[in-house]
Amino acid sequence: MSLDPITLQVMANALRAVAEEMGAALVRSAFSPNIKERRDCSTAIFDDAGRMVVQSASIPVHLGAMPEAVAAVRARGAAPGEVWLVNDPYRGGTHLPDLTMINAIALDGRTAAYAVTRAHHADVGGMAPGSMPAGSRELLQEGIVIPPVRIVRDGEPVEDVIALLLANTRTPAEREGDLRAQLAAHRLAERRLQEVAERHGPDRVRAAFTALFDYAERRTRAAIAAMPDGRYEAAEALEGDGVTEGNLWIRVAVTIAGDSMTVDFAGTDPTGPGNCNCPPAVTRSAVYFVLRCLTDPDIPASAGAFAPVTVLAPPGSLVDARAPAAVAGGNVETSSRIVDAVFSALGQAVPVPAQGQGTMNNLTIGGAGFTYYETIGGGQGASPDADGPSGVHVAMSNTLNTPVEALEVAYPLTVEAYRLRRGTGGPGAHRGGDGVERRVRVLVEADVSVIAERRARGPEGREGGGDGRPGRTTLNGRPLPAKWRGSLRPGDVIGIETPGGGGYGPPEEAIGEDGAHPAAPSENLSP
Amino acid sequence: MGVDVGGTFTDAALITGGRLITAKVPTTPADQSEGVIAAVTAVLSRAGLRPADVTRFAHGMTVGTNALLEGTGARTSLIATEGFGDVLELRRQDRAHLYRLDAHHSPPLVPHARTHEVTERCGPHGVITPLDPASLERAVAAVRADGSEAVAVGLLFAFAHPQHEAAVAAALREALPGVHVSASSEVLPEIREYERISTTVVDAYLTPVLRSYLGRLGERAAAAGLPSPAIMQSSGGVLPIADSAEHAAWTVLSGPAGGVIGAARLAAREDRRLALTFDMGGTSCDVALVTDGEPARTSRTVIAGHPLHLPVLDVATVSAGGGSIAWADSGGALRVGPQSAGARPGPAAYGLGGTEPTVTDADVVLGRLPLREPLGGAIRLDADAARAAVGGLARRLGLGVEECAEGILTVAVQEMVRALRLVSVERGEDAREATLIAFGGAGPLHACAVADELGVRTVLAPPAAGVLAALGLVMAGERRDYVQTVLAPVDAGAGLAGMLSPLREHAAHDLPGAPVQAAADCRYAGQSHALTIPWDPAAPEASLAQAFHDAHRERYGDADPGRAVEAVTLRLAAERPGADPELPGGAEGPGVAGPTVIPMEGATCWVGEGWTARVDGVGSIRMERG
Repeated sequence: MSLDPITLQVMANALRAVAEEMGAALVRSAFSPNIKERRDCSTAIFDDAGRMVVQSASIPVHLGAMPEAVAAVRARGAAPGEVWLVNDPYRGGTHLPDLTMINAIALDGRTAAYAVTRAHHADVGGMAPGSMPAGSRELLQEGIVIPPVRIVRDGEPVEDVIALLLANTRTPAEREGDLRAQLAAHRLAERRLQEVAERHGPDRVRAAFTALFDYAERRTRAAIAAMPDGRYEAAEALEGDGVTEGNLWIRVAVTIAGDSMTVDFAGTDPTGPGNCNCPPAVTRSAVYFVLRCLTDPDIPASAGAFAPVTVLAPPGSLVDARAPAAVAGGNVETSSRIVDAVFSALGQAVPVPAQGQGTMNNLTIGGAGFTYYETIGGGQGASPDADGPSGVHVAMSNTLNTPVEALEVAYPLTVEAYRLRRGTGGPGAHRGGDGVERRVRVLVEADVSVIAERRARGPEGREGGGDGRPGRTTLNGRPLPAKWRGSLRPGDVIGIETPGGGGYGPPEEAIGEDGAHPAAPSENLSP
Repeated sequence: MGVDVGGTFTDAALITGGRLITAKVPTTPADQSEGVIAAVTAVLSRAGLRPADVTRFAHGMTVGTNALLEGTGARTSLIATEGFGDVLELRRQDRAHLYRLDAHHSPPLVPHARTHEVTERCGPHGVITPLDPASLERAVAAVRADGSEAVAVGLLFAFAHPQHEAAVAAALREALPGVHVSASSEVLPEIREYERISTTVVDAYLTPVLRSYLGRLGERAAAAGLPSPAIMQSSGGVLPIADSAEHAAWTVLSGPAGGVIGAARLAAREDRRLALTFDMGGTSCDVALVTDGEPARTSRTVIAGHPLHLPVLDVATVSAGGGSIAWADSGGALRVGPQSAGARPGPAAYGLGGTEPTVTDADVVLGRLPLREPLGGAIRLDADAARAAVGGLARRLGLGVEECAEGILTVAVQEMVRALRLVSVERGEDAREATLIAFGGAGPLHACAVADELGVRTVLAPPAAGVLAALGLVMAGERRDYVQTVLAPVDAGAGLAGMLSPLREHAAHDLPGAPVQAAADCRYAGQSHALTIPWDPAAPEASLAQAFHDAHRERYGDADPGRAVEAVTLRLAAERPGADPELPGGAEGPGVAGPTVIPMEGATCWVGEGWTARVDGVGSIRMERG
């Protein structure tokens, strides 16, 4: 059955609505601030062949990361009436705190689709509260590893699995609430997809899956075809991985040939001893993110949109890690640097923005009975036509902050300052966005992990624009390395200063609103 | 008498002795009060009445919304806690668009240069750093130097510990008597600094503008011998002009509120348990859910990019109207909107130079808009132009012209249906059980198609497009809402009822004798979002906890009765019932089977295939499926 242009649009809307409603249900019923306030979660519908049909607009790092999870669960023979759970980065996961659930949905008595939820849980055990330890050397230090297992069977939760999981987290009550919120989203997905099938017929739903795939592929191919053919190379260095202090290199060559693109990471450094390694799903997500930024963002996030792209990576490298390598920082930091590298390569073919902060500034503070995890925004790189926004997440994340008042009610912490680092964005015809300063005083003994990047070198400007200022992490005012873990005493203050974005174009071409050349403001630059 | 100001027309409705008299005049954007008085004059002359005969005069307007959308509010300053002056710019740190990296949020209503920090700090348990008098003096001097007409005060934890804000506000009011001061602990004593302070800044930014508009309106009304107007609030209740002028943030959604209240009262009279309001105009479509005659409310909304966390009617808006443009995207799909041809050039059928095919053009091609009657008394529709515009798109998509027109309507309807479903599903209601109440210039025309897609079996189209909003104004009660964050456990020892006392005292002072309804935003301890639960403070706390467990199960399919429940914010609404005028009606005529067109005053009703329509004595149309 092929779909006419009208039915195509009708079905695209209906299926997108299912994914969006799943996301709304998950966010509304979850317990942890990380999911509720920061919305660190994604939902999607896959077809019976395991191809992504539609994903809710949420977290870019989840873009390319779900198909592996669906493949792993399909390989186990997932059946309707079951919900499967997985977080193993080497069997469909990304990093351990991201718990993925998948259920098969039957239409007409046979599996027609899979619904997927992925949510970042604030603690899944391991060597440090928050399960995002700086300095982990193997996966098992980062938390409990869950291969694909059934968490619902015959429509009933498998309480034994839930109990096992809750026994392996520092915050079992919150975890249970979040797990049940995910399960509620799956029940909703099943009900709503079946309603869509009742209204339009199961065959038309199946046909729509294929039509949407083809539609997204057509539009992406048209966009790639408009880019000049050629081979474009770039490299980016990670500032250590929490164990080694030296640079770890990501090298990429992007080849555009007609309406296809190949992204080859040959020459990238091998898997590092620390935790900045990326399972292939994370690497693909980062590439897909750049593709979405450079094509019409209106193209549905279906697998078809990514079909014209081939991602190659040397097995056992930083960007195609193998078990038992640690991965906590790969998902959040290395992915940001892959984005920078791919943008730099493609910038030789088409206009791209200057580099953004290139890090998520992961801060985890844990102590007796609490775990606080947050990522902190910074400067976006300037674009050919606009300044870079200040104080935002720039690439693979777009999570909300935790309000100061909500944070202080929930945790024994006091926020001393939360403000922009004015003047940290790179100068240019268009200025880079400014970074952010967030200083947190701990009121009790606590364990702290910081995983960050861009502490030595600031994000690069483009086309004559200046670089953004690098970030800084401090303990009681003294600088710390980019990746650090340690114990704090009551009264200690941890300060996170995030990088400014790069500028675009020569500064002397800058035109202020009043027609004057604006001077760079320099207030609030902390020593 | 109710007078509602819309984008194009100002509508007046007058009810007297069971008669309904209406009038329509052009809106006067420079000063809406001019058009208001013109509408009053017109409707009184049609009714043969004098201004002194008017017993009740209510008014809905878009002054606040327009000032926000156009950035024409007052010059405003902000006083913030030291270290937190960038609260408006930092927002919630999410970027404006996930993949458009050059997209910016709306700029803050107060720029950095007019934000001033004071040395002070409160935390969850009270004062951490006392308010430093020298920093306060500096801040007051800085506001003076700003030359601002308004100042917002937004300090951390002021929702629980307002003493520092009170001291700052008092110092500002004393030093700068001409400057309006909005303090976050007065405007919205609710946890979460960004949303609270954003709401407070909106209040400060709009109050001088609203005050001057309402001042002019009050004078004009007095000069005309009319009673002092009551002003529609975003909450769906009216307030006397003086109260309204002091709280601009409450009136931001005054415009769409009248229609929703009118539709809700209609649903109540018809004894409909569940209704969906469907107000479709030229560029957008507003929808809302009504349960047992009560419109759904929310306390979280965003206007022109600025969060506003006050109690408002929960109206969802989608960019789909008669002027929405249809197009073919690069993947070969037929799309409608969000671009709109607006009023100028408007749809191709208007003959004003528009060439893009719009929803209205599709209606014309399908013969659903009568060509003989000029639209709105002025525009004569050009069927050939509509056909040419739709035909161009049809060729690109490989469709027939009629097929393409059908497709445009189908896709446009999808957008509206998505909004209607979302407002229903979010409240656990099944849209199929609802009655669709269709109004606005394009509402009755597309109501059957929307109903078909939703699975709705009854549609009501009240007479005359703009009148429902004006009628709603007449029927709206006087209403005030109060909130206070308390963060207290829901158990017998916590004394929740006592925490409600200050809110009760405010209500007794502002609206003496008005019935009140309490509610509590509850959550499981450890959760961060809450559900608003209706609450009888006289009942034991256990019943509130039970109601929360039930609501949680209904909404999310899950509850945990063993878990501690926490009340985050208490809410109190005081509402004096509005007028309940005798409305004209009359027997319904015989059933007319669709497909057919029924002309209405100011609108056209399309009766779809499989639908039967009955028209009553005043032109209200009831359509049933099957």
